[in-house]
Parts: sequence; C-alpha cells; structure tokens
Amino acid sequence: MYKYTEQDKKIVKNRTKEFKFQVERRINGDLTEEEFKPLRLMNGLYLQLHAYMLRVAIPYGELSDIQLNKLAEIADKYDKGYGHFTTRQNIQFNWPKLLDVPDILSELAEVEMHAIQTSGNCIRNVSCDHLAGINSEEVEDPRPWCEIIRKWSTFHPEFSFLPRKFKIAVTGSEKDRAAIKVHDIGLKIVKKLGTIGFEVFVGGGQGRSPYVAKKINDFLEKKDLLNYLEAILSVYNELGRRDNIYKARIKILVNELGQEKIKELVDEKFEELSDKSLELNQNEINNIFNFFKLPIEKKTNSKVPIHSDKEYNHWLQQNVINHKIRGHSIVVISLKPPGKPPGDATSSQMRELSKISKDFSYGEIRVTHEQNLILPHILNSNLYELWSRLKKLGLSTPNFGLITDTICCPGLDYCALATARSIPISQKISNHFKEYSVQEKIGDLKIKISGCINACGHHHVGNIGILGLDKNGEESYQITLGGSATEKASIGQIVGPSFSTENLIPAIERILKTYEENKKKNEDFLSAFNRLGIDKFKEDLYK
Amino acid sequence: MAKKLKGEYFYLTANDLKTGSVVYYSKNNWSSDLTNAVKISRDNLAIYEQIAQNHEKECLIVSPFFVELDEGGEIRKMRDKIREKGITFKLNN
Ligand code: SF4
Repeated sequence: MYKYTEQDKKIVKNRTKEFKFQVERRINGDLTEEEFKPLRLMNGLYLQLHAYMLRVAIPYGELSDIQLNKLAEIADKYDKGYGHFTTRQNIQFNWPKLLDVPDILSELAEVEMHAIQTSGNCIRNVSCDHLAGINSEEVEDPRPWCEIIRKWSTFHPEFSFLPRKFKIAVTGSEKDRAAIKVHDIGLKIVKKLGTIGFEVFVGGGQGRSPYVAKKINDFLEKKDLLNYLEAILSVYNELGRRDNIYKARIKILVNELGQEKIKELVDEKFEELSDKSLELNQNEINNIFNFFKLPIEKKTNSKVPIHSDKEYNHWLQQNVINHKIRGHSIVVISLKPPGKPPGDATSSQMRELSKISKDFSYGEIRVTHEQNLILPHILNSNLYELWSRLKKLGLSTPNFGLITDTICCPGLDYCALATARSIPISQKISNHFKEYSVQEKIGDLKIKISGCINACGHHHVGNIGILGLDKNGEESYQITLGGSATEKASIGQIVGPSFSTENLIPAIERILKTYEENKKKNEDFLSAFNRLGIDKFKEDLYK
Repeated sequence: MAKKLKGEYFYLTANDLKTGSVVYYSKNNWSSDLTNAVKISRDNLAIYEQIAQNHEKECLIVSPFFVELDEGGEIRKMRDKIREKGITFKLNN
C-alpha cells in the first residue's frame, strides 16, 4: 500500500490547519456562506438535507486496517455510528457538526487520510479496479498509476477550478470492473508488441446527458501519461463551457466536437507540451510501484475448508474469487444485506473488519465502486473461520453480482437535490429477492438506483436502472433496461412510463419473467436483453 | 427566497450554522422542534425574509427557506416532510 512521504504529510497537515482557520472565520462572521462554500467543498464538506456531510477520500479504494479503525472511531465520536461507502470508493459521514470537522480532518491526517478531491470542480479521487494487482488476467497493476495521477492532480494549480468536476478511472484488465467508459477519462492498461501502455477514453459520463466515452488513443506510452492527461485537461479547461452547469462536463464538449476533432486538439496540445516537463522516468515509476508489492509472494497448496453449512457454501460460490497467487482467495464483503441501506457499515462492523483484515488479509481492505468491501489476500484454509466471523457481523450475505447487490445513491432520505427516495427501493428489492436460490436462478444482474437525474446511483448503466422522479408530488420510478458499465458499456434504454412505488416490484418481476421465458441456456440477463430488444420487454410490461 | 411559493402559509426553516441541524423559526429563536414554529402568512413573508437575512449575517443559521404548507396546515412537499421527520428507514446500527 502507498505510504505518505514527508511532503504528503506536510500537505495534508497544512490543509487541515488552513481549514480550521477557515471554519473559525466562518463562525466569527469573517466569511459569508458564499465565500465559505467553495472552501468547504474543497474539503469534502457539503450541506445536505438534514445536516452537513463529510466525504472522506479513499484513494483508489484502498484502506489499511488502521485507517478503517479510525473511520469507525470517527463514526462513533463525531457522527451517528455509521458511514456510507460511495460509488467513488470513498466514505461519507452524514451528520458531522461544522465545529467538529477540523478535528475530524486532523484525526484523519494522523492515519494518512483527508477529504481533498472529494468534491468541487477539480480532478476527483481517482478510482480503480477493485481487483487490481490480484487477478491473473491483468496486464499490470493499475494502482501505482492511480497514485501517480493522484500526485499530479492534487492541488494542480491550473485544474483546481475546472468548468466542472472531473473523474478518472484506471483498469489493468480486459474485463472492466472500474466503469472506465463512463468516466471523463478512462485509462486501460494494454500490452502491444510486448510494451505496456494505455488506451485512452474520454467524454464518458452519466447525469442528465449520459455518454459512453470515446477512444482517442490506442496506445499511449507510459512515460507520456501525465503530459497526455495535462493535454486533455488543458483542452477541456479552455473549451469546456462555464456558462451552463448542465453543459459543462467534458462529455458535452467531446460530443459536440466529435471524436476526431477532440483527438486532434488533444494531440496538438500534447505536442505543445513538448518540453515534456511531466515525462515520467523509469525510476519514478519504479519507486511508486514498490509501494504496491503484494504482501504474499509464494504459491501454496492451502485448501478451502469443506463444511456442510449451506450458507457457507453459497458464500464460497458467490463472494469468493480466485487470487492470482495459488492457495489464496479474494473475498467480497457484501454491504447489501437484506433490508439494509446499500453501502452502509456501522462503526462496530468497521472496527471488527479492521481486526479481521489484520488477522486474515495483511491489514488490507478495499472499497469497490459497487459499494462493497474486499479482503484482498485470504489464505484458502482461513476461509471458514473468516466466514464465521463475518457472519457474526451480519456481513456474510452471498449476493455479490446478483439482483440484491444494488448500487444505490442516498436519494431523498439524505440528498437535497433528490426527486425521490432510492434507499427504500433498494431495501424493497433486497427483501423481496432475499432467498439465495431465487437470486441464483436469476443469475448475474445489476440493478442501479438513483434518486434524481444526476445519476449518482449509476442507473444509466444498470442492467435494470431505476430513476426516482417526482410526479406532481408523488414518487415515481422510471425503468431503463440494458445499461452496462463494463468493457461493453452501454446506456440503458427507457422502457416506458414510470411506476409508482407499489408497482415497481411487480414491474421488475414482469421484466424478469420475460427474461426467464425467453432466455437461452446459460444466457445472462444483459445478453438476453441485447438479443431480444427493448420492444419485447415493453410489450410484456405494459400489456 | 419567497419567489414561486405555493399556498398561503409557510414555516421559515434553515440549518444551524455550527451544527448543521434542521431548525425552524419560532418566535425570536430557532428550534429543531416544529411544534412552536411560527406559521407565516403570505403577506408577512418579506418580514421573515429579513429576519432570516439578519440571522444569517449573525452567523446563527445557513440556507434559510420557506416551507410550504397545504390547506390543512401540513407540510406540502415530501422533501420538506422528510427533512422534518428524518430519514424514512431504520439505520443499520
Ligand atoms: S443521484 Fe441525485 S439524489 Fe442521488 S445522490 Fe446524486 S444528486 Fe442526490
């Protein structure tokens, strides 16, 4: 895992001190809310429906046991005893007091954490494949590249006031688990003729105008990564619209100019940066890679314990993935138990998980953009004991990748921008489909729920997407079908008129019935949808 | 603040600056309890808007706005109802 340098420590400490002073000035009246708002946002502090909300950065989703324990402490000491893991692999605290935030930030700094780049119109926390470095099909570990980008982007003077927020994701695998094609920039590590570099995608995104990113570079050399990113950001900074918040993201620019033109402009800018001040040398790259060496090197013949317990076997089947080093496994901890708010973890769960990660996973834990947690390095023979401990915590739900493993934004229960609630919808789904046998029969299926068109719940890329609307004061839910955030990314199509809260589950049931009746052997929902087309589903749903 | 409001009666609400808690204006002070909130008629909106502005300047509150009430005197919008009653599901802990 990455460890702060003295420089990193200094930066975070200074920022904490600076914010403490800004809060004092706000409370004394030396700063108006208008003046203070951009400053608090630069430190991850929002004002939501009920209270302030602090979003803490978890760079590329990687946490140590010590950091997780600190998050548990903060949840208890300054919040209501829980935290919410987000789709940018961060964590949110929903109830901090403004007066306490400087103390929270200074406690976070003690464990090399902060809330920088979690909000505002800057380059946000870079996200990453949650199986980075541990899956066998990977070209190269993307985490060091995320860290290189983080170092370059944090407090970048030119890119701290972009037209809008800017999100970058990196994957090192053919199989995209980081949703790179719905990011402002998506980077995919590829190998061509024996050399490793990047494919570069730009202009993906969700919100009210969803787009799949366009590829503008087939192969970017590693040494050029930062110069090329600088070129993209410079073009965007110059040409991105600042006059209309709804048209300010790079996706609008890319879509207006077209793939060829944006590529041409970026290439020109890249040429201009010919001094190549940001060119990376191999030593620098190696230094960063050294932080990310796996804690296990040796293969073993460690075997998965055999037990007759049905729940244990379901969990093994659903939530345990092969590690690239033989004898080890990767464990997905579902934060979607039946009836619970997706992505939430209590302080006691976090505290125990911190111990568990220390006992079983070399003190490493990861957050996925699908709002689950990962224990990356588990010796196979420990799996039963680990499962037993997770079960005691209510964290052994075997639903990874299944219908109840929903992504869900906070919606109207927390968010001032929402048009409808989303968490209660997710709760209904997870209660309704809670039986493992039912879920297993349906197979791989991603439901994603947003409480408004801003799409923080990624509904556009849900196989079944659910968007909460306000219809004359009543909550109503629009369904989209066929979305995907994988390497074959696609934006879901609206199936038809929206559904009331009561009619939503029956509508999902009807959609699943169409799938069930028409699927070919072993065909998953998305493939069946792509083959059958929306009209078939529409016809069945509204007849 | 008072633009485009529906109905005849309103509450004045805001967040407490230091804590962020939801508060309602109730005769000279701000309270998290709705029971004593002042019911404001449309004619008096300007007066209460001024009070809100003053209290913002005094750093007591942030983000003030008027909550619309329906004919029965109940909060009209779901958003405002949730804001008053709190989240609509049980917390995990
Ligand atoms: S999608 Fe809308 S409701 Fe959900 S968190 Fe984002 S802004 Fe809020």
